[in-house]
Amino acid sequence: MNVTEFRTAVRTWLDENDLTPGPDHSFDAQVEQLARVRRELYDAGWMRYGWPEEVGGLGGEAVLRAVLGEEVATRDLAEPGIYSMIEVLAPTMISYARPELAAEMVPKLLRGEEQWCQGFSEPGSGSDLASLSTRAEQRGDEWVINGQKVWTSLAQFASRCVLLTRTAPGHKGITAFFVDMDTPGITVRPLRTMHGVDEFAEVYFDDVVVPADRMLGNPGDGWKLAMDLLPHERSTCFWHRIAYLFTRLDRLVDETDSTADDELGAAYLALHTVRCRSLATQQRLASGASLGPETSVDKILLATAEQQLFDTARDLLPGVLELSDTEWRTEFLYSRAATIYGGTAEIQRNIVARRLLDLGAE
Amino acid sequence: MTTYSTAPAPDSDLGLLEDALRKTMESTTGAALDAALVDLGWHDMLTEMPDDTIPMVFRLLGETGAHAPVINDVVLVDAGREAGGVVPLPYTGRQWIEWAREDRDTTALDAELPIATVGSGDPVPVAAARRALGWWLVGTSRAMLDSARTHALDRTQFGKPIAGFQAVRHRLAETYVAVEGAEATLRAATDELGSLLAKAAAGRAAIIAARHCQQVLGGIGFTAEHDLHRHIKRALVLDGLLGSSRELTREAGALIRAEGSAPRLVHL
Repeated sequence: MNVTEFRTAVRTWLDENDLTPGPDHSFDAQVEQLARVRRELYDAGWMRYGWPEEVGGLGGEAVLRAVLGEEVATRDLAEPGIYSMIEVLAPTMISYARPELAAEMVPKLLRGEEQWCQGFSEPGSGSDLASLSTRAEQRGDEWVINGQKVWTSLAQFASRCVLLTRTAPGHKGITAFFVDMDTPGITVRPLRTMHGVDEFAEVYFDDVVVPADRMLGNPGDGWKLAMDLLPHERSTCFWHRIAYLFTRLDRLVDETDSTADDELGAAYLALHTVRCRSLATQQRLASGASLGPETSVDKILLATAEQQLFDTARDLLPGVLELSDTEWRTEFLYSRAATIYGGTAEIQRNIVARRLLDLGAE
Repeated sequence: MTTYSTAPAPDSDLGLLEDALRKTMESTTGAALDAALVDLGWHDMLTEMPDDTIPMVFRLLGETGAHAPVINDVVLVDAGREAGGVVPLPYTGRQWIEWAREDRDTTALDAELPIATVGSGDPVPVAAARRALGWWLVGTSRAMLDSARTHALDRTQFGKPIAGFQAVRHRLAETYVAVEGAEATLRAATDELGSLLAKAAAGRAAIIAARHCQQVLGGIGFTAEHDLHRHIKRALVLDGLLGSSRELTREAGALIRAEGSAPRLVHL
């Protein structure tokens, strides 16, 4: 099925099958809605396109997942951030888990039977991820994990965790595991954020025992695994988020009485620019190119466009987010994090300077 | 410096054409370059392979710092007329200009360009010409960035190249991102609105490049003996031609307000 046929078929199906979320905007309700959307789309087949048959997919190009995500975001069927997590979790499993483990687990994720989380950042390791210190020590056929993760999205809802641990010094001493979240010794403490949503959590690991066959790849493959996520995050996930931001620009145009065309135009130009860039990135990925540091440009354009859009919304809807409890407030506040998560704005500029402009070391 | 997808393969026909054009532009400018471009087949390029060659010619004008009155040709051919003449072109501030084919004195900020204001003009098709000017602005921006990058690596202060200071690096990174973004909009532009947005993005990128590159170049970038000022002046003048970034951005805002939604111009 080509992109156009797929898009048309998905649209037709979504027109006939109403997956609109209910009135409850709480985060618990959003997670439940996400599971519902995935289950319905999986059972109808749409969620399975673009994934390999070995893990419950129906094959086809990966770009079909971006098309589906755009339709989901455009219709506001699921919160785009948590919808897109699948795009980094499932490819990691496909590339690094034992084939039997991937075949057993990935369909549960695709079908919305389970949520998974990603245990990467630590209190002492944010931008400098490679300094992470959560220890994994081998004991016969098992590994024993001790340490703490933070900013772990959906941890309190998650059945599994793709976890980075320290097994030796340096970048080559990072090892990844696929951990069941109900293993004894794991404690999850949700973090209340400034936008009032318990999206993130702290996760504590106290003598958590993980079987050796849950290692992802080999000892020392963890850093490569983390780097291999980027092409997925920065192609499909970004496309979803851009689609979502366009819906918010439309909403702003609809709701504002302002005639501040400079600001509206600038917000539109920023979104159009990142959409054009993201399209080019996905075309390169589809043509077999491997993505690298140039995706930091996409990341900078996206984070900048997102904050500009919500700044414009605040300006052109005067007093709205300050005085009434609307989605504008939550989404404006959340947009403040766009230049922090997934590699800060500063780290991205460092990458551009070092890798793309070849300016040498600092 | 890594560029994302600009250059054709060196041994392809387009690669050979690019080489020839670049060499010509490095040694010739103005009316002489106008004639040289005709000898290189410019009129055929306009009609036979405009999607490849117009971006190339205009980007190279920017990168080399040369100029020629060829924007006239893009407008004329778009209007179904013969290349080779002069046509009044809209300029920002509700003005009209003519870009002469011969070299002459001017009151324009960029004193190399034979541009003069004229009283009025007839409506002309602008989409193709906006894309062409967008490529010129991208080329000019890349020339400024290249020059600032080289300076940052060569210039030593406090015992190390100033390229080692994060404040300097981030200005250059910011410029690179703006230029890459503008280039993406140009590659995706096919219709009127796409061309308008691409010209707006390219003008914006050039203004960002001018600001950051001038700052990184410090005192030397403020002198007439360094080439930077030529690129800055060219960027400022080209930004106003067929609508400045600011005007076009406002126009895009008015359009989405009138339509009630923001058109998604590119699709997977």
